[in-house]
Order: sequence, then structure tokens, then C-alpha cells
Amino acid sequence: MLECAVRREYPDLRELLIEASRALAQLDASRLEELALSCEALNRVFEDSEVEGRVKLSGQARKASKEMEVFARILDATRDNLGVINRLRDLREGRRGYGERQAQGWVPSENGHGDN
Amino acid sequence: MGSGRRKGGCRRRMGMGTISSAFSLISGALDADQSALSIVANNVANVNTPGYTEEVPNWQENLPVTINGVSYGAGVTETGATSMRDRVLEDRLDQQQQLASASSARLTALNSVQALFTPDSGSSTAAAGDIGSDITSFFSSFSSLESDPTNVSLREEVLSSAKVMAGDVSNAAASLNSQSSALAQQASGVTSQVNSLTTSIAQLNQQIETTSPNADAGTLEDQRQQDLSQLSQLVGINQVTTENNGLSVTTTSGQVLVDEGTSFQMTSGSVAGATHFFVGSTDVTQQLASGGGQLGGTLTALTQDIPNALTSLDQVAYGISTSVNALNNAGTNLDGETGSVAVPIDIFSQPTVVAGSAAAMSVVMTDPNQIAAAALGLGTGDNSNASAMANLAKQSIVNGQTPTNFYSSFVSTLGATVSGVQAENTAENASVTQLQSRNNALSGVNLNDEAAVMSKMESSYQAASQVFTMLNTIIAAALNLGDQTTVA
Repeated sequence: MLECAVRREYPDLRELLIEASRALAQLDASRLEELALSCEALNRVFEDSEVEGRVKLSGQARKASKEMEVFARILDATRDNLGVINRLRDLREGRRGYGERQAQGWVPSENGHGDN
Repeated sequence: MGSGRRKGGCRRRMGMGTISSAFSLISGALDADQSALSIVANNVANVNTPGYTEEVPNWQENLPVTINGVSYGAGVTETGATSMRDRVLEDRLDQQQQLASASSARLTALNSVQALFTPDSGSSTAAAGDIGSDITSFFSSFSSLESDPTNVSLREEVLSSAKVMAGDVSNAAASLNSQSSALAQQASGVTSQVNSLTTSIAQLNQQIETTSPNADAGTLEDQRQQDLSQLSQLVGINQVTTENNGLSVTTTSGQVLVDEGTSFQMTSGSVAGATHFFVGSTDVTQQLASGGGQLGGTLTALTQDIPNALTSLDQVAYGISTSVNALNNAGTNLDGETGSVAVPIDIFSQPTVVAGSAAAMSVVMTDPNQIAAAALGLGTGDNSNASAMANLAKQSIVNGQTPTNFYSSFVSTLGATVSGVQAENTAENASVTQLQSRNNALSGVNLNDEAAVMSKMESSYQAASQVFTMLNTIIAAALNLGDQTTVA
């Protein structure tokens, strides 16, 4: 019973991180938002809990270091991907602006003599 | 695609009268719609074609006509189709695939290496995974002999444990060598796939440059992109777009594989017993190893991971064999004999150099009485030399460390390498998945809205950042607490 209670208080950090990595790989934003809420709750429980509970969590934290590294790497790759895609979007928006100006007619860059 | 249906914006016909002009406009619009519909139908027909990129019709406004001073629009002409591709995104996806393929190939090889050194507690048969305990047992057998140096069964126990240890070390080296051969063969096989793809890309370049030098070439470009994607999984490449919609492909180190319509073949051959790779006459083995793709990952395992493991085993074998043999030759055996340079009394085959020591490690002593348990001049019943040999377990005889510490360090370093490559591979595959979903939204034939995917990626990143920040705080606090508790 005690173990169940502890488990309810502290979801396994490794499982949580594996789930977060999977959700981020799949760009499952709603699942990630749920996980963010769970982490908020976990943070509150951690702050309010007794020493014994905190020590249990410290054991979990040590075991979860590899999963944390994987999650950090995926987050890093996502940031890079987002950077590339944002630049592409800017580029395309720039093209749209160029097209609009073109639709309004060309402004000649040369004068009538063509010797500017 | 899109041969370009055109409705008559023709001035002569429009001059025939307003009704005729209007009719012409409507029939032209119908022609254009029909043409656009065929593009959409083609998209739907290719929904399951791998690598097919959605095409959208291009519209061009016809010149307006003026009738009796009033300007009338003359409709639109469908001038062809453009594939919804994004070369920058495809390039990024190819790069990520190169990394993911490299780490996958390396991870597969590393897992096989690590499996060799994983202790099998449930098995009674000797295995490379038992080398750590073999070393401990071997030196412990000298401790036992120390208590009764003339006891023949204890002497046999020393030789028996020496044989088990030497057998496991040499078997591990043999397994590493055969893994190395298998990987070299696998890597050589990749070159024929690379050559087939570069030949195909060069041919497609020629067709694209001829048929569509200034516009998207539709399915031809889809095929080229498919080939590039497959090539990226095999070898690290860079792509450079050239004039007339052509493409040059180089290895990441700059060796040209495709120059527009010409491809350059990759070959493999043996150099000093090792498989090397060439483009033309240039040896590109080292560059390929760090370049990515399956070949990059395989070559990293072949030129780095397996040689490192073999070197460590060689050092273990060399350190133990030379140190134990030296002490055995410095003492007196049960027959009262002492070894010499001319007539050595060795327990192990004596290595001359470190390289190859593991594969050659064996026990050459057959008579247990030959073990020199006694120190020189103290009689055959003395145990001083057995003590000295037992103490070798605590001395830095393997590359500056004790045998067990060196071996443990090797195994844990190998484990850390596997773990690091595993983490890399997971992250790289996740990145590929993300980019594929984004690329599918742009160029795939589906109803996903590009902006929706973009927004999903941004929200996912934001939410994931929150998860990471909070977990980082919790884990850091929990770890600090753990340290404090331990100290307390």
C-alpha cells in the first residue's frame, strides 16, 4: 500500500521522460501539455513532501539521467528544426510580399535613357 | 504535367463581339479548370506513390482586351504544374537521415561488441563476458597456492584458471576480428548501392536539364529526390544545385560523386589488410567514417570502436602474460629449476608486442610442477613467489592500472559509448520523424494544412520546453538532496 501511495505521488521519472520524448518526436502537443501539467503537480508534491519521499525521488532522478539526456537532445533537434522551418516561412513570406509588389506594377529602375 | 490549356485572350477573336468574347472567356476558363482538375486527379492517383510530391496548377492572367474603350479581363491560362517541394527542407531532412543512419549502423555494431563483454551469470560455460571474473579467479588461484605451495591440485588449479582466462580473452579477440570482417564486407556491399544511385542521379540530371531547365521537373525531380534520400541513408553527402536545374553531389568531405550528368564510381579495396574506399584514386575511408550515413556509421565501428576494444584486450593480455611470465622465470619451480632467457619457463605464450596479444593468448605450460611458487634460493617449499604472483592483481601491470580496474574501466567506457550513441540515435530519429511530418504536409498528397503543422511544432516545442525545465529543476533538487543525504 505504501508503495502504491508513493507511486501515486511520484510518477516514475524515467517513464515520464520516455513518454515526453515520444510525444515530442511525434509533435503531440496536447500530450506534452498534459505532461507539463503533470510536471507542475510533481513539482508541488516534491516541494511539500517529507524527506523520505524526496529521497525516493532522488533515486529515481539518478536512474533517469540517460532518459533526460535523450529528451534534451530531442528538444535540441526540435529547436534546430523549428529554426530551419521558421527561416523557410520567413523566406516564403518575403516571396509573397515580392509578388504583391509585382502585381501592382513594376517601378522602372532606369530612366528613359537607360544609362543610370 | 500541365501542357498548358489556354483560353483565347486573342485580340482578333475578342474583336468579333462581346458575346463571342464572353463565350470564349467561359470556354477558356472551362479548359483551364479541366486542366487543373487533371493535375488534382494526378495527385490523388499518386497518393500512395513513394516520394511523389503534390503538384499545383500555375495560373497566368491573360492580357485584358479593350472594346469600345472598355477594358475586359480575358480570363486565365493554366500554364503547367509546380511540385510543392522545398529543397531546403528536403536537404535538412537528408542531413538528419544521414546522421540517424550513421548512428543506427554504429549502434548495431556496438551492441554486438557489447554483447561479447556482458557477463552471463546464468551460464557455466566460459565466455568473453566472464573475463573480469576470470582475471580475479586466476590471481586468487595463486593466493590459494601460497597457502600450500607444493600441493599439486592447487598448482593444477592455477593452470586451469589460466587456461579459462586465456581462452576467453583469445575467443573475444577472435569474435571481434570476425565482426570486423563482417562489417568490412557489409561496407563494401554499400558501395555498389551508392554507385547505382549516383548513376541514376546523373541520368536524371541529364533528363531534367534537357526537359525542364528553368522550372520544376515534377516526377523526374521526385525520382531524383528519392535517390538522394536513399543515398543520404548510405553515405554522408552535400548537394549543390547547378545551372539548368541540375545537381552536383559530393561526399561531406567534398569528394565529387555526381557532377550534373556525370557520376564518379566508389570502389573498395584492401590496404594493408584493411578495407579502404576510393573515389577515383583518392582514398576517402577516413572522410567517409566521419561523414554520416550507413557507411559512415559502419566505418566508425570498423576503424574506431572495434580497434579500441581489441587494443584494450591486447593490453590486458600483454600486461598479464609478460608480468606473470617474468615472475615465474624469477622463481624456483617444484623441480628446483629456474627459467632463463635461453630456456624460459613461461606460463603463457610470451608476447613480443602489444598488438595481437589477445588473439594469441594461450597457456603454454603443461606441467603444474613448472610453476615457480618459491623464491630463488629459498627451497621448493617456499611460497614467496606465489605471493608475489598473487599480488600482481593489485599492481599496475596493465597500462598503468591493475588488471581488474583496467578491464572494468574498458567495459564501462564501452557501455557509456553504447549509451551515448543510443541517445544520439533516438534523438536523430525523432528529428527525422518531425521533419518528415513537416515535409509531408508541404509536399505530400494530403489535406494537412502547412500552417497547422507549423503551429503544432511550435506548441510541442513550447510544451516540451516547460516539461524539460520543470523536470530539470526537480531532478537537480532531488539529486542535490540525494548527495546531502549520502553525506549526512
